Amino acid sequence: MSLYIFYISNFLLLLCLTASLIQSSKIINNKIFTRPGIMMLAYVQLISILLSFLILIYLFLISDFNFDLVYFNSHSEKPLIYKFSGVWGNHEGSMLLWILILVLFNFLFALSRGISERFKEITVAIQSIMIFGFVAFLFFLSNPFTLNQNNFFDGIGLNPILQDPLLAIHPPVLYIGYVGFSLVFSLAIAGLITKEVDQQWASIVKPWVFSAWAFLTAGIALGSFWAYYELGWGGYWFWDPVENASLMPWIAATALIHCVLILQKRNVMQSWTIILAILTFSLSLVGTFLVRSGILNSVHTFASDPGRGLFILLFIFLILVFSFSLFAYNSEKINKIGSMGLVSRGTGIQINNWLLITILTIVFLGTMYPLATDLLLNKSLTVGPKYYSTTIAPIIILFLFFMFISPRLGWTDTKLYQIIIQLRYLVITSLTITLIISLYFELFNLTEILIIFFSLLLIISSLTASINFNKQNILVRTNLGQNLAHAGFGILMMAVVSNAVYSEERIYNAKVGDNLQLQKYIFSFDKIEQVEESNYNSLKAYFLMKKDGKLIDTFTPEIRFYSNPPTITSEASILHKFFSDIYLVMNVPQDQQSISVRMHIKPFMTILWLGTLMIIIGGIISASIRVGRLNEK
Amino acid sequence: MTNLVKSRLIKFLLSLIIVSIAVLIIIFNLRDNIIYFYGPTELLKNSDKQGQIMRLGGLVSVDSFQNETDSIFYFSITDGDNKIDVKYEGILPNLFAEDKGVVVEGVYMNDGRFIANKVLAKHDENYMPPEVIETLKKSGKWQGE
Repeated sequence: MSLYIFYISNFLLLLCLTASLIQSSKIINNKIFTRPGIMMLAYVQLISILLSFLILIYLFLISDFNFDLVYFNSHSEKPLIYKFSGVWGNHEGSMLLWILILVLFNFLFALSRGISERFKEITVAIQSIMIFGFVAFLFFLSNPFTLNQNNFFDGIGLNPILQDPLLAIHPPVLYIGYVGFSLVFSLAIAGLITKEVDQQWASIVKPWVFSAWAFLTAGIALGSFWAYYELGWGGYWFWDPVENASLMPWIAATALIHCVLILQKRNVMQSWTIILAILTFSLSLVGTFLVRSGILNSVHTFASDPGRGLFILLFIFLILVFSFSLFAYNSEKINKIGSMGLVSRGTGIQINNWLLITILTIVFLGTMYPLATDLLLNKSLTVGPKYYSTTIAPIIILFLFFMFISPRLGWTDTKLYQIIIQLRYLVITSLTITLIISLYFELFNLTEILIIFFSLLLIISSLTASINFNKQNILVRTNLGQNLAHAGFGILMMAVVSNAVYSEERIYNAKVGDNLQLQKYIFSFDKIEQVEESNYNSLKAYFLMKKDGKLIDTFTPEIRFYSNPPTITSEASILHKFFSDIYLVMNVPQDQQSISVRMHIKPFMTILWLGTLMIIIGGIISASIRVGRLNEK
Repeated sequence: MTNLVKSRLIKFLLSLIIVSIAVLIIIFNLRDNIIYFYGPTELLKNSDKQGQIMRLGGLVSVDSFQNETDSIFYFSITDGDNKIDVKYEGILPNLFAEDKGVVVEGVYMNDGRFIANKVLAKHDENYMPPEVIETLKKSGKWQGE
């Protein structure tokens, strides 16, 4: 049985390889392969990969340990959902998932209507060159369908820290984001080849780039949320290399979506948009490379293998060389002169583009510097998180200002004093709130105050702009996606700053019966007990949280002891309140008498996730409004 | 020089200046926040590093672990050749144990002791921090592949 599956699945991979090769040949306008058409081939690509992916899921579900991948990454006693997510909890499986998304985007684009046939053909051909490369890599260098000769009775198991429902959906969501930019890249190259990077092009690109961006945002947020409650360190962002690797394409993509909008409205900045499209996809690949190669020393790196990283590195190199030579050759021909005022929305977006690129550079240097010293000087070092926060914070202030003012300006030249008069109440309101906040909470750091002030301006102006009545008191359609995302970003920034300033941490050693204090709360250590679950044993402590003698909640931090493979994890117990989270983690007792408990008060965490959610929803709304209003005055 | 060329040249020079200033600021900030990693032998050779924040890694030496109170711990970190005594106040990660790899962050004091304020947590008990492997390889004590 296993042998048949082995042949079928490898045949499917070869089938996709062949179809992609034929599809790629359509990049030159040849007469040999007019049949089969692109749609037919796109079907073959999709179905062959989808089937092999389903086969892999099936192998994990029935725990067929004749396959190496299943043996190394699964265990018969694992709960069903983790057998399922184990499919992409390893290198080979996650590459297959990556390819599945690649062919899915290829297929969806081939389905879309209203695009000239030649342009579609070239885009699909470029996408298929990438599919060919990745399937070849999968087939020859990291084949998920390899058999072993031994009859293993059971598998090794999945790292327990990955046995988490959130982590089951985090990689697919993140990958849809990363891989979505492959299509944007293909569209950019097709635009360069046909020399048609114009308003029409921007309208085609817009839904794809916005949805990829929304998925990437959601993927990063899920990873951060997972780290917050699973790693048990009380933080949500550590400026860890792997986190940075996902943040870098996000920053480039954020610049890109705004450039696509300017291009669509004013027909300017063609070259820059193309550069950003290439940059975003390259950074997505760098993200995959950094995580997969194992050259990073990170808390998030799993399933890594240095040899395979080389392939992705080579691939990134080829893509950069190819696309930038094409760009150098054709860039003069795509620049058409549209018009844009000096004091205008476009200028504001351009300035923020530069600020984003600066932040990108900061993150890039901080991530790459330790790698460079390690490889070149054989010297290990780490860049402290303070580097990022102190360097980025001043830029964020400027960024928030232009984010607030730009949507208020028109696309053509706008008189500044008119805007100032329009905005006076808004400024006064925000200033008052900021003053109250800073006095009440004794906040006297200028950077923090300024970030809160401009965030407030941004939030209030975006929210008021999205609720707009005309003279007949009817709610008119406004730019809801944009306003929601912008307000969300303001809320996120406010929450990040306040969280950093007001987080509190206490560490205690506790015996049963002890009363521990954290601010106005008392925690009574009630009892500790052992619990047996299907795939782990756990030590569970019970803390009763009281305020003024009244019981408010019970906290149950846990330590879990997994046996396949042997691992210990701490599970935090978190109470989410609107204004602050209370967070308890315990550690393995050093002696038998007491346990160590770490208690955190993390203010504004709920609001922080809320802001992030608004950004994601804003992106989805913008992606789904297909037809932009062209030449809006 | 035509006006167009002139204005392009000015724009170019101006952006060059702005970019270099920005990069300089970034790099200076980067240098201030770098935390170096040392093994015990390396650290003993660099006694001028006393008083700086750094990371130290190696194996927790056998029979070195003591606790003064419930949350003040003493242990030493070794690479097989040399040892450095560490004092740490706080919570120890679940997987902390003698003869296992560990990385601590803190200050190397002028009395030769290392005051740690962080013991970096790791995921599974077979995991060895890459820096520690490197340190053990340097001292010839590495026994893995």
